[in-house]
Amino acid sequence: MAETFATDAKLLVDKHVEFIQNLDKKQDRLEYWMTEHLRVSGIYWGLVVLFLLRRPHALDHEQIISYVLSCQNADGGFGGHTNHDSHLLYTMSSVQILAMLNALDRVDGLRVTKYVLSLQTKSPMTTVCGDKWGEHDTRFAFIALAILSFFNTQDQLDVSGVVEYVRGAMNYDGGFGSKPGGESHAAQVYTSVAALALAGRLDIVDRDRLSSWLAERQLPCGGLNGRPQKLEDVCYAWWVGSALDILQRRHWIQASKLASFVLSAQDEKGGIADRPGDVADVYHTCFGIAGLALVRYPGLEEVDPVYCMPRSVVEQLGLDKWQSNVPESWSQ
Amino acid sequence: MHGIRRQQEREPTQDELQQAKQRVDRYRALNSHVMDLKAKSVFTKDSLDATKRLLEQNTELHTVWNYRRTIFTSLDEWQSQDARQQMLDGELKFLLDIITKNIKSYWMWNHRMWALSSLPRPEWQRELALVAKLLALDARNYHGWDYRRFVVAQLKDAATDKHAVDIQEFAFTTEQINHDCANHSAWHNRSKLLPEILAQRDEDGQLQALQTENDLILNAIYTDPDDQNAWLYYDWLLDIQKSDADRCRLLRNKIAMIRELLELEEDSKRPLIELVSAYAELERLQSGSVLETEKKECLETLRRLEGIDPYRIGRYTDMSRTLSKQWALAA
Repeated sequence: MAETFATDAKLLVDKHVEFIQNLDKKQDRLEYWMTEHLRVSGIYWGLVVLFLLRRPHALDHEQIISYVLSCQNADGGFGGHTNHDSHLLYTMSSVQILAMLNALDRVDGLRVTKYVLSLQTKSPMTTVCGDKWGEHDTRFAFIALAILSFFNTQDQLDVSGVVEYVRGAMNYDGGFGSKPGGESHAAQVYTSVAALALAGRLDIVDRDRLSSWLAERQLPCGGLNGRPQKLEDVCYAWWVGSALDILQRRHWIQASKLASFVLSAQDEKGGIADRPGDVADVYHTCFGIAGLALVRYPGLEEVDPVYCMPRSVVEQLGLDKWQSNVPESWSQ
Repeated sequence: MHGIRRQQEREPTQDELQQAKQRVDRYRALNSHVMDLKAKSVFTKDSLDATKRLLEQNTELHTVWNYRRTIFTSLDEWQSQDARQQMLDGELKFLLDIITKNIKSYWMWNHRMWALSSLPRPEWQRELALVAKLLALDARNYHGWDYRRFVVAQLKDAATDKHAVDIQEFAFTTEQINHDCANHSAWHNRSKLLPEILAQRDEDGQLQALQTENDLILNAIYTDPDDQNAWLYYDWLLDIQKSDADRCRLLRNKIAMIRELLELEEDSKRPLIELVSAYAELERLQSGSVLETEKKECLETLRRLEGIDPYRIGRYTDMSRTLSKQWALAA
């Protein structure tokens, strides 16, 4: 089913590229300094935008690689900025950046693997924590599997234990929460489904129930929300869209209406906001554009729904093998 | 960043630029100071105070929360039960003061859990009351509900009668639902407790509990037939029935209820889709139990839904195709 994107609005490619390039120049703003702790993730979001817009060299790669490497700590993990404590969130962003910039060989995969494995716990249940302070979440289950897949060390993790943890986070609506007992939320649905895709256990998913729940996220305005009764937000174009993509049910929402919504949240000066009229930020620019790439909006590189990275990069690294884990009956 | 409206921008005045620069300089100085102390592993009351001043300005600095915890555990006072109790009670108060700045901060909730878990004499009941107040302000805050489940787990751990804790929690969800039957977070929490409640009852008790549950969810459906969550919960109640016979009985009740609702409003999306899925499930459980006319009605309903709810055309056409094949009917 080919989508036609009949809309007056255009994707302001040049403006968004400028927006990304200018992010590091806003050093007179308090907000720049107050978000220093997630700088590495900010760079990852910015690179995704540039790569999908086919302008990958709009930022200096070598400069970024040096900076990312400076964020690695003695424990092998990465912090969000130089001298910040290691956490899986920033280790993930770092590894994704290095992968996209063809610089994975600049880091010792075994060191990173060791860090990830050190965060696995067995009690009270098998799971993976975000850092040594013990928070567990289906996000971290996904991230652990994803990071290890970059270094081909996935089998050093207790994958079946982690799968049980994710299964425990599944709810009566077919969705997944942050942890066993947690309420279904689209972002956790993405991380859980992506984790199961990597682990080869998509059979656990109640495909019909979850696809329906995800499809119901589309509101009359065309935008998507993260759970019932909540407001539409551009970032759900990714969280919901990617999950539907993995479930092979992308066509259960209206792509053109979603695209119109995302485009209407653009700032004419560059960047995309959470919804029309709000202040743009790099996070929503990333997931808005990634969401457009998922629905094959014209002019964009294809994006991998598990890794949120360009498909070409994922294929080059041999990481597209998760696709063979999709149950055969789903493609009928 | 969420929900920040764009303002009409005009050129800032010299004064405003100066003030902005001062704010930036002050923040950066404090941040550098704290990170410097951390790099030097300074674990004193003064460094504790510095982290507090910084975290008051930016609750998202997880490295600084980590450092703060390390300082606490490195102080001599930490070794004394009473001193530790006092320090952490103070910490809980500090967290309460700043939680309103960002009620969705993972780091603050994590730190609170750490403080409670480290307290020699934690007051879990007081925490429960606190989180109840929070949920009264924002019934859908999943951080609040996650925290509540954490507190209840601790209470259960310490309790001699663990089942009583489950019953108390179950009653809390009943209260929430009676207050607002569209509180999905309460229904979700309930779905995790109900199996535990049922497991403790005998056969009659279970039947009674399921009947009560059925009545409650039907009330929610009648109150708002468009509430997707109520129908999902109803389907889940079907899942946990003991036998296919029970499921079929409930499916027939569901269909009867839907027909009532459709009499009031014939183009009501949710009852229509639920009608089709009810018949589909009925036929799946008991082959031949659905009439040809009813099957044809389902396919016709899916066609109508394409017009009523066009965004989800993809779903309805997929369902048509699947059911036509299964039922050997023309689509």
